Amino acid sequence: MKPSTAMTQEGTGRYLPVIYPEELTFWEGCKKRQLWLQRCSGCNHIRFPIGPACPECFDMNFTWEQLSGEGVIHNYVVYHKAWTPWLQAKVPYAVIQVELKEGPRLTTNLLDCPLDQIKIGDSVVADYEDITDEITLIQFRRTSDAHK
Amino acid sequence: MTIPQMAKELKDKTAICGIGLTIGSFPDKTPLSLAVDAYQKALDDAGLKRGDVDGIIQLAYGSDYDRFLEAVGTDVRYANQGWTHGRFIAPMLQQAAMVVASGMAKAVAVVHGRKGRQFGQLADHEMWRQGLGPHGESPAYGAFSPALGVALAVQRYFHMYGGSNADLAPIAVAFRKHARLNPMAVRTDPMSTEDYLKSRWIVEPLRLFDCCQNNDGGACIIVTSAERARDLKTTPVYISGMQGVHAGPQFHNLTLPGLGVAQQKVYKYTPQKEDLYAYQMAGITQKDVDALITYDAFSPLVLFGLERFGFCGPGEAKDFIKNGRIELGGELPVNTSGGLLSEGHVVGWNLFIEAVNQLRHNAGARQVKDAEIIQYGSFLGESIIFRR
Repeated sequence: MKPSTAMTQEGTGRYLPVIYPEELTFWEGCKKRQLWLQRCSGCNHIRFPIGPACPECFDMNFTWEQLSGEGVIHNYVVYHKAWTPWLQAKVPYAVIQVELKEGPRLTTNLLDCPLDQIKIGDSVVADYEDITDEITLIQFRRTSDAHK
Repeated sequence: MTIPQMAKELKDKTAICGIGLTIGSFPDKTPLSLAVDAYQKALDDAGLKRGDVDGIIQLAYGSDYDRFLEAVGTDVRYANQGWTHGRFIAPMLQQAAMVVASGMAKAVAVVHGRKGRQFGQLADHEMWRQGLGPHGESPAYGAFSPALGVALAVQRYFHMYGGSNADLAPIAVAFRKHARLNPMAVRTDPMSTEDYLKSRWIVEPLRLFDCCQNNDGGACIIVTSAERARDLKTTPVYISGMQGVHAGPQFHNLTLPGLGVAQQKVYKYTPQKEDLYAYQMAGITQKDVDALITYDAFSPLVLFGLERFGFCGPGEAKDFIKNGRIELGGELPVNTSGGLLSEGHVVGWNLFIEAVNQLRHNAGARQVKDAEIIQYGSFLGESIIFRR
C-alpha cells in the first residue's frame, strides 16, 4: 500500500480518504478487516487520530496494536442534504462517532440500521467496506444486527 | 488571575474609529472590489484618508493583502494575513489593537471582501486533514460542512441535558425579529416558530433555519489610538478587555468543552476565573454587559456562547433563551443585528460592526437603550469587551 492524495474516485466521484504516510499500518489493517492503532510505549494510551506523539504523556515511542473493533455509539447525526452528487442516492444517512472499547473515538458510518433506531450507547462492532481496489474503510454495525 | 501592568495600560487605549459594510448579492463584483468598497466606506466614516492607514490585516479567501494594497495604491508598515475562519476574527481585531498600542502602526484597517459562492473553494482541502477537518469533517464518510461539527455538539448537548431541535427555535426566531429592524439585513421575511419547525433538515438535529446566510459582502474596521479617535468624526468605541481563542483536544472545533465531541472528555463545563480574563481586564462582570454579540453561524453556537461566559449554568442555555430574554427589550439582547443567521455573513466582521453601531447609539429601531458595554464572546472563548 502507498500514500494517496486522490480526493475523489474517478468515474463515481465518491470522496476518498487521503492516505498519509504515517497511517499505512492502519489502512493495511483495514484491507485485512482488522483495526490497528498506536499504543504509547510510555503510558500504554491508545490514541486517535494517528500521530507522532502521545497526547497524554508526549512520549514519541509507540507500537501498533490490533484492537477488538468493539465499541458503543457515542454520538450520531443524520445527513439529509446531499453535499455531492454521489451522496444523492445515499441520503438520509448517519454519521456516527464510535467510542471504542479501548478508548478512542472514530468518526464513521452506521451500516444497515433504520435511522429512527439509532441510539447513543448501543453496542457496535467494526465492519469493512472496500471502496477501491486499494482502499477499505472501517465502518460499524450494531452488534445486534451483526449477529443476525 | 492577576492582570499584568501592560494589559492595564492597554485597556481603553485603542478604539474603533471607522466602519464600512456591504451585505447582499453582488454578482458582478470580485472579493477585491467588495473589500475596497468597504475600505472606502470606513475611511469616509472615520474622516480619514487612505494615507492615514499604515497597517492592514486581512484573512485569506478574499482578496490577498498585497493585491488589496496594490489596488488602493497604499504602502503600509504593518501587514498580516490569517486563516479564514470565523473563530479568527476576534484575534485579528485584537491584533490590530495591539499593533496600534505597540506603535507598529498608527491606524490599522481590518478588511475583507467575500463572495458567498466562491467561499470554500480552498477550504475544501482542509477537510482531508489527518484526523478530522476544521469542522470535524471526514469526506470519505460523507461527513461534510461546518454544520457537522455543530450538529455533533448539539446532539451531545441534548443527550446530556435533555431537549431536542425544537429548543433551538427561539434563537432563529429572535434573530429574525432583530433583522427585520435592520435595513442592512439580507433576510427580513417574518419567521414564526411554526415556520422554523417546518424548515427542512440539513444535518439532523439541525434545520435549514439553524444555518447562517451565505451571501456576498465586504467589511472594514479601522482601529487607532483612543486619543486620536477622540479627534475624529465618530464616537470612539474603546477596546476594554479581550481574550483569545481557546484551542486543543478539549475544545475541538464547534463545541463547548465537556460535550464529548471527537476525543473531548465528557463533563459539565462551567467557566473558571481564568476562562473569563476579558472581564477582569475590562474591570466588569457579566451583569455590566448591555448586549452580547456571539458567533452564530449555527444556532446552537448561541447556547454554547452563553454557557461559555457563564450567563447561565451548564445545560441551562436552552431554557435561558426562551420567553424573549435574548430579544431586544429582554434581559440580555443577543445579536441585535440579526446575526449571521439573518443579517448575513461577512466572515463575522459584521458582528463587530453591529457592536460599534450600538455603542455609537446609531442602531436605529434596534438600538439597545443607553448601551454602554457590549461583549463579543463566542463558544471557543474568544472575546472583546467594547465600551463607549
